[in-house]
Amino acid sequence: MKRNLLVLAALASVILLAGLVLEPNGYVVRILCIMLLTASMAQAWNVVGGFNQISLGHAAFFGIGAYIPTITQVAYGLSPWLGMGIGIIAAVVLALVLSGPTMRLKGPYFALATLAAAEACRIGASVLKFTGGPQGISVPFVGDSWAMMQFRFPGHYLPLFVLLFLVSCTTFAWLTASRYGYFLRAVRDDEQAAEVAGVATFRVKLLASVISAALTAACGTLFAQFTYFIDPETVFSASHVSIRMALVAIIGGVGTFAGPILGAFLIVPLEEVLNATLSEEVGGLAPLIFGALLIAVVLLRPDGLTSLRLPKVLRRPEA
Amino acid sequence: MTNLLQALLDGVLNGGVYGVIAIGLTLVFGILGIVNFAHAQFVMIGMYVAWFAWHTLRLDPIAGAFLSLLVGGAIGAALEYLFVRHVVKASVVAQIFLTVGLIAVLENVALIFLGSDYRSVQTAYQTQALHLGPILVSVPYLLAFAAAVIMAVSLRFLLTSTWTGRAIRATAQDEQAAISFGINTRKIYALAFGLGTGLTAFGGGIILPYATVNPTVGAHYVVLMFTVAVLGGLGSTTGALAGGVLVGVIQSISTLILPVQMKDLALFVVFIAILAVRPQGLLGGVSR
Repeated sequence: MKRNLLVLAALASVILLAGLVLEPNGYVVRILCIMLLTASMAQAWNVVGGFNQISLGHAAFFGIGAYIPTITQVAYGLSPWLGMGIGIIAAVVLALVLSGPTMRLKGPYFALATLAAAEACRIGASVLKFTGGPQGISVPFVGDSWAMMQFRFPGHYLPLFVLLFLVSCTTFAWLTASRYGYFLRAVRDDEQAAEVAGVATFRVKLLASVISAALTAACGTLFAQFTYFIDPETVFSASHVSIRMALVAIIGGVGTFAGPILGAFLIVPLEEVLNATLSEEVGGLAPLIFGALLIAVVLLRPDGLTSLRLPKVLRRPEA
Repeated sequence: MTNLLQALLDGVLNGGVYGVIAIGLTLVFGILGIVNFAHAQFVMIGMYVAWFAWHTLRLDPIAGAFLSLLVGGAIGAALEYLFVRHVVKASVVAQIFLTVGLIAVLENVALIFLGSDYRSVQTAYQTQALHLGPILVSVPYLLAFAAAVIMAVSLRFLLTSTWTGRAIRATAQDEQAAISFGINTRKIYALAFGLGTGLTAFGGGIILPYATVNPTVGAHYVVLMFTVAVLGGLGSTTGALAGGVLVGVIQSISTLILPVQMKDLALFVVFIAILAVRPQGLLGGVSR
């Protein structure tokens, strides 16, 4: 764990230093922000998905984290920092409510139930009045302000994204190194055996899903502040949010600390390059390549790309 | 009262089609033990095949749906042979993500080659309806329902009364025993997967007279078809048809009470509730 955190700290400092040098309104710094956000989202997903609870519905938490601060800011002028807190609480409440029907479900049934839950949220957001319906809502522009979590240039968001990245990665590192990590791995490998050995499996899974929901909601808030505009099809999207979070983690290495980071730092730049060079001629090529990459990883490297690497720091921290 | 009867009838007609779309999914699960998340994309494939049959050969979509069955079946069998068979014995994570990867591949291949425009067909009976007293029976829905029921009955016949069907059911029950009786279970897996995707593609073809197709149309059917399959008990083919009718009725009854945009919301809530109470399905007994 110490090694992981040292690498993490080094990576974060390099990115922060790069942010000082790079053009704050530039393209590169924008991509860096998206990379950090994607890594944080995949790491948040990893807290549950890494332990055999394949959620395909994390867009529910992401969307709630994006919508609540935006709505409270539009309606009451509340700072998104407070809004984020409310959003996180709402996401945690949803995770608790959903855990009732879903927690005992296995494999594909769990995936289906979470998928349906996120789809229900998407429909809810496009039907309700205060969410702005299918047209979505814009974040009111107030100019550069830390208190309002808003900046004119994408580059000035970089410290926020680094913070989010650090929080989600250290949470994962802490969770897996703590006794809960052992419990989670025991539940992953054999739930009944874990139960018999005295692990409170329900409570352990609940803790993981609550932490994961909270982190995902925080990602949603930063996304909304970063893009200034959200609609149900973007933030509650199954393919662009739920599946993407899982895909990044799986391609990198599911259940590992380094997997989501490696996955995001590989996929986001690749996506940008593909979109920049090809999108005018062929729209679907980048997602096609990611689908093919996912299939290739599942068939050839089920442990993800981190399993290819030799340095010990990037290896799976096995118990 | 008329409203209620009308809603019931609409629900049943719609639901029969849902049933045939979901039969393929449930068949694949019953035999391979795999939940194919990319199954809804075969609705899209079937719709495109029927559209092209109508566009180039002037074939009615209901007749074109038989081409959809063939093409969807062939694509499915090929995917099983190339990819799916490698994960039949693998972890659930691998199974889920292989088929999620297939969603992206199928959708985007369609997007690249066919573009993102919506396509639809024109038929003579498209806007016609029969009057049964105060109740209207829409002709395209009725035709689709009839085609769905005929296909479901044919499948039943195939599975119970032919050698191939018995081989499929034997493989589903006990692979080792089937092998020792000289059944090539590898071929049966590809056949069953192809049969499953073909049936779903057929379902796509028969709805074309009242639905439009674009590369992402599968996304509209994914939760719906899983709801149907789980309601009927994943793996149960007769359950799927009953589940389809039930879902169709839930949908149309809920539009009497809730705004139309919320009909799927009601369905998803029912879906999660059913999963929680009886993950093996309401109507089905065993899951495999």
